[in-house]
Amino acid sequence: MNVVVCVKQIPDPAVPGTLDPQTHTLVREGKLIMDDSDAYGVEMGLQLAEAAGGGEVTLVSMAPAGETSGLRTALAMGAAKAILVSDDALKGSDALSTAKVLAKAIERAQPDLVIAATESTDGYTGTTPVQVAELLGFPSVTFAKKVSVGDGRVHVERQTEAGYDEVDCPLPALVTVTAGVVEPRYPSFKGIMAAKSKPVDQLTVADLGLDAGQVGAAGARSEVTDVTAADERKAGEIVVDEGEGHQNIVAFLEQLKLV
Amino acid sequence: MDFRETDEQQMLREAVDGIASKYGHSYFAGRARSGGNTDELWNELAEGGFLGVNVPAEYGGGGMGIAELAIVLEQLATNGCPLLLLVVSPAICATIIAHFGSTAQKESWLPRFGSGELKMAFAITEPDAGSNSHKIATTATRDGDIWRLNGTKYYISGADESEAVLVVTRTGVDEDTGRGRLSLFLVDLDSAGLDKTLIPVEIVAPEKQFTLFFDNVEVPADRLLGTEGDGLRQVFVGLNPERIMTAAMASGIGRYALEKAAAYARDRSVWGTPIARHQGISHPLAKAKIEVELARLMCQKAAWACDSDADPGVAGEAANMAKYAAAEAALGALDQAIQTHGGNGMSSEYGLADMWGMARLMRTAPVSREMILNFVAQHSLHLPKSY
Repeated sequence: MNVVVCVKQIPDPAVPGTLDPQTHTLVREGKLIMDDSDAYGVEMGLQLAEAAGGGEVTLVSMAPAGETSGLRTALAMGAAKAILVSDDALKGSDALSTAKVLAKAIERAQPDLVIAATESTDGYTGTTPVQVAELLGFPSVTFAKKVSVGDGRVHVERQTEAGYDEVDCPLPALVTVTAGVVEPRYPSFKGIMAAKSKPVDQLTVADLGLDAGQVGAAGARSEVTDVTAADERKAGEIVVDEGEGHQNIVAFLEQLKLV
Repeated sequence: MDFRETDEQQMLREAVDGIASKYGHSYFAGRARSGGNTDELWNELAEGGFLGVNVPAEYGGGGMGIAELAIVLEQLATNGCPLLLLVVSPAICATIIAHFGSTAQKESWLPRFGSGELKMAFAITEPDAGSNSHKIATTATRDGDIWRLNGTKYYISGADESEAVLVVTRTGVDEDTGRGRLSLFLVDLDSAGLDKTLIPVEIVAPEKQFTLFFDNVEVPADRLLGTEGDGLRQVFVGLNPERIMTAAMASGIGRYALEKAAAYARDRSVWGTPIARHQGISHPLAKAKIEVELARLMCQKAAWACDSDADPGVAGEAANMAKYAAAEAALGALDQAIQTHGGNGMSSEYGLADMWGMARLMRTAPVSREMILNFVAQHSLHLPKSY
């Protein structure tokens, strides 16, 4: 079984990010790393390919300046190869124009299953994966907390507020996974040393048969018009305990309908 | 010149950091205090191939060098888990076996270093031969097909949890100089006639220290490592890695202490402002940071020299300087971290004071501060030999 895992390479979340004052988009200069939320998808893909007794995991990523640092991490975990789309024309992409590019790249790998995170840690739109599925004509199942594959179908336990839904759908399909789906492995030393020699197919927009006008800022249907700083978190209320502190706690919890 | 680590080295650092951070110092100290071992951490490192990064690839290892093994230990120590056996087992013993072992010895021992299955202790120090290896009195005498070992070794780390020990013995005397001719042996720790006694020490570490007594211990001839009588030269191949690994471990302890101190200083507020705003707090921490980073740099240089075809003199000098600098930097950083924590610096909860014994040990072992100063005075400055 061939699995494609979408891997986003993002600026290190530990370093405070900056926004471009003109476009209000995230500045993506310097080294990018694999979005932590994609480590779950990579692990799930590896486990499913292993359980199926054959096939491999191909990574698909779109990133500026031919960035592969984040892909190397996923290759070190055990993915077989990667497709990277990197093109100046992709600057200013919104979710949909990203989806167009990813869908074209994914088609090349002819996957049985596509896995993505529910959303990225830098953009948080959470819409790209389902747009990719639509463009590929695949059914999509989101928020998977458990995934298994058998008899040409994917079986998913889909996280809901109340519990979970059991969803079964035919392959090929796209599944988005939560951080609860599997525990990602740490790359082994052999995996780390092998990562450099694994193939990364680097493609441009033209290679994918797309027109520059369809992608990037030119093809974007959404635009960030303004950015406002979030309200500072208000200081908490301090109650001095004069023997009645426990009653204040109970009252507070009751107000939240927790007791 | 390029001071960046390779992508592989950075990923190695991250992977080991990920594993070590799951355990952390409370695990390490807890095991040390209860007399337990750190098998879970050891085995997880072994599974990832991190214990054998320096073992040649044809023997199942990672095929890299001491630079990579030093990264593994530094990241462990940075997470409060300075595993002493990494210095002894893969750095000293595997290095010497890889250099001087017969094909059969390499095949039977080396793959098991990387798999984590084998821990090997190292026995050179004796009650009457500390820094002076020429005075080694433990003898190995040929008796037909076997060798018989007699003598005492002490401060042998992890002898209770190791399968075998690499022993430095005297097998003859050089008639011209009167100095001992040394030979190396790989000895099973459960051999008849080999007894060990615990040496109680004030170091909070899961690896314990032992005195080993060899009373006519029979060792098969195929356990002689390398060439008979050439042991001193052979053992030196393992001693630069030992110093570099000690430097890496000390650097990691320094980073561990400074990270804790900085976090505490940012949070702790006594007169309405974080104590980090007081230069009495921030300047000593900044100084300690500089010293730790300088030590790391010398450690990296020494590891590079050790792994490359650089002049062996460069590796020896850098390894000694790195060990000296890192031990001093670790003690400085730890002392200032304890001071920054006020009374909490001595609490068990904050995990600083219990690191003191380990950090302080590194000023003395594997080679004392004074012996390094002797070395630098004599070899780097061409001053007269003092002993």
